[in-house]
Amino acid sequence: MRLLLVEDEIDIQSFLRSSLEEAGYQVEAASDGKAAERLAVDGQFDILIVDLGLPDQDGITLILRLRQLGVRAPVLILSARRSVDDRVRGLEQGGDDYLTKPFALAELLARLRNLLKRNSPAGTEATRLRVLDLELDLLRREASRAGQVLQLTPQEFVLLEYLCRNAGRVVTRSMILDQVWGMRIQPDTNVVDVHIYRLRGKVDGKGQQPLIRTLRGVGYVLKDR
Amino acid sequence: MSSKTAKPVLRSAAWRISLWATLAFACGTMLVFVGLHRFVADDIQRRSDAWLSGEVEVLGDVAERTPKDALYGRVVSEVAELAGKEVPNKLLSETSSNDSVFFLQTGEHGELKLWVGAGNGVPDLKAIQATKIVPDHPTDVHVEGFGVPFRVASLRVDDGSYIYLGLSERDELRVLRSLRLRFILLWLLLVLLGFGIVFFTTRRMLSHVREISEAASRIGHSDLGARVPTTDRNDEVGHLALTLNRMLDRIESTIHQLHTITDALAHDLRSPLTAIRGQLEMSLSAAMDGEQAEPIVSAIEELDRLTDFLNKSLDVAEAKADALRLNRSDVDLDELLRVMIDLYEPSMTEKGLMVTLRSGGPLRISADAALVHRMIANLFDNELKHLPLSCRVNILLEARDGAAVLILEDNGPGFDPDVMLHLFERRVKGRDSNGHGLGLAFIDAVVRAHGGTVMACNRDGGGARITVMLPAASTQAMGLN
Repeated sequence: MRLLLVEDEIDIQSFLRSSLEEAGYQVEAASDGKAAERLAVDGQFDILIVDLGLPDQDGITLILRLRQLGVRAPVLILSARRSVDDRVRGLEQGGDDYLTKPFALAELLARLRNLLKRNSPAGTEATRLRVLDLELDLLRREASRAGQVLQLTPQEFVLLEYLCRNAGRVVTRSMILDQVWGMRIQPDTNVVDVHIYRLRGKVDGKGQQPLIRTLRGVGYVLKDR
Repeated sequence: MSSKTAKPVLRSAAWRISLWATLAFACGTMLVFVGLHRFVADDIQRRSDAWLSGEVEVLGDVAERTPKDALYGRVVSEVAELAGKEVPNKLLSETSSNDSVFFLQTGEHGELKLWVGAGNGVPDLKAIQATKIVPDHPTDVHVEGFGVPFRVASLRVDDGSYIYLGLSERDELRVLRSLRLRFILLWLLLVLLGFGIVFFTTRRMLSHVREISEAASRIGHSDLGARVPTTDRNDEVGHLALTLNRMLDRIESTIHQLHTITDALAHDLRSPLTAIRGQLEMSLSAAMDGEQAEPIVSAIEELDRLTDFLNKSLDVAEAKADALRLNRSDVDLDELLRVMIDLYEPSMTEKGLMVTLRSGGPLRISADAALVHRMIANLFDNELKHLPLSCRVNILLEARDGAAVLILEDNGPGFDPDVMLHLFERRVKGRDSNGHGLGLAFIDAVVRAHGGTVMACNRDGGGARITVMLPAASTQAMGLN
């Protein structure tokens, strides 16, 4: 996957570059709009990360310009601004995504994956998910571990489904809140942790290998190995 | 139309102004007329008195000079009758005989000697004798059988007899009555016309003021870029509109400045925060699990709290200045509360808290979904953090007068009385609170930005109650009513 990173802050650019490369992306970086334009037109990129506050021009202006020049790759917009510009909203509706600084790396990676998935031709949606000995029947909304059916509430099933779809990858609390409950909030309390704790009690029975792992300060991961 | 708009018209300033102006005008003109009427009446009286005095003198002269023979009576009567035909202010009499003038001469002992006029003169003589009449000074005499009094002048003739000349005031009164009638009609017409003119001009003028105030209230609630309508007229109303617009220019530039500052502040703090967070995460993935990771983990957690604090502080600051930018959409509070309870229920159960929702079904409001989500999450966080074990939280949602009312009640310890008065201010928190004291200030900020109100109190039976009132439609639409 070829990725163009347009970010003027050197610190952010460098840590993003290394974490993205670690995640398997081929990263080209640009520090201003002009360089980004040149790179984007020449190289074939699968996805772009564009910071809104560039030294020479506005990020949105750059994105609109790139679209005019025929760059079709989806864009993940990074912004340190407080309010979401109407034009950003327009781009969001056009298939691009938006992330406010500061962000968790896991969230950035998840959003990039979503953008790429959205852009690729839709495959047939699986009706069953399988992670190790955990199996989810998406039609009957039923989960079982090692052949044993788990007694899950509908909400717990949605949560487990989200973890399974991201098996092996870290999901943050705000990602869970956004994807499972449809809310972009930052609770002061450990509401998500309690949900996970309950789910873990049902999924990881006694004597079984624990599947749901907590990564403190980062989020959760459903082990797939 | 009639019954609904009649009341506002009667209560409008235009109506009151026209009413008072008309009243003053009517009283003034009435006073002027009363003076004029008096002047005219006096003048008419003076004229008839002058005539009476002149005539009675002539008659006295005639009576004196005419020899007292058989012809005396005829001569004097003739002269008197002639005089009666030259009456001033005379109108055509209804009867053939002249009943508006009489001439009467009494003998030395007061007996009726000579009579010229309608009737036999007996009631006239009686009336004259009943009234004290000063010679050379015409006096009103009420004669029996006549509706209007006579003006009577008298003169003593040298032979000891008295002559009296009477003139009915009927014609005089008729002139005055017709004057009054004409005036009243004209006066009524003028007053009505005046009222109409004053009412419509003030109404037109005040309708401009109303347009301005309506526009201003719309601007206050939504679009600061809009301006009140201005007119080309160089009067007070025109000035008012211009002044308001200049004031709005200043407010808009101040708010714009505030946005610029908060945006710059957010940007300048977020960029380094992003870099720090990224580096912390990278070192976390490199670090082994266990002791090495622990400080990094807590640093990330602190950093996230700092970010949340930054966001909330800036939101509260903007909301306090009525400058929070809203991105309105349809929000179903009932559905939102159910999802929120679903999210918080495990944590609440963990603490032994019971939460119940009473709701009248879907309740849609026009609001900024992200802000309302955070506001309600804050309310729940608040309960979760401050309630001791095994308390109850009752949530009530209902529509009341075009507003959504959300009430959160608990049977916990209630609010700390020390902070009760400053509950919604920044950095105010109870003694045992470990938050940064922004929760309720943030709730207040969001609710106010949506044109609603939030109240907090301690319940009589113990526990706290928070009442949030949010207008169902956006205030922009409400302002038009």
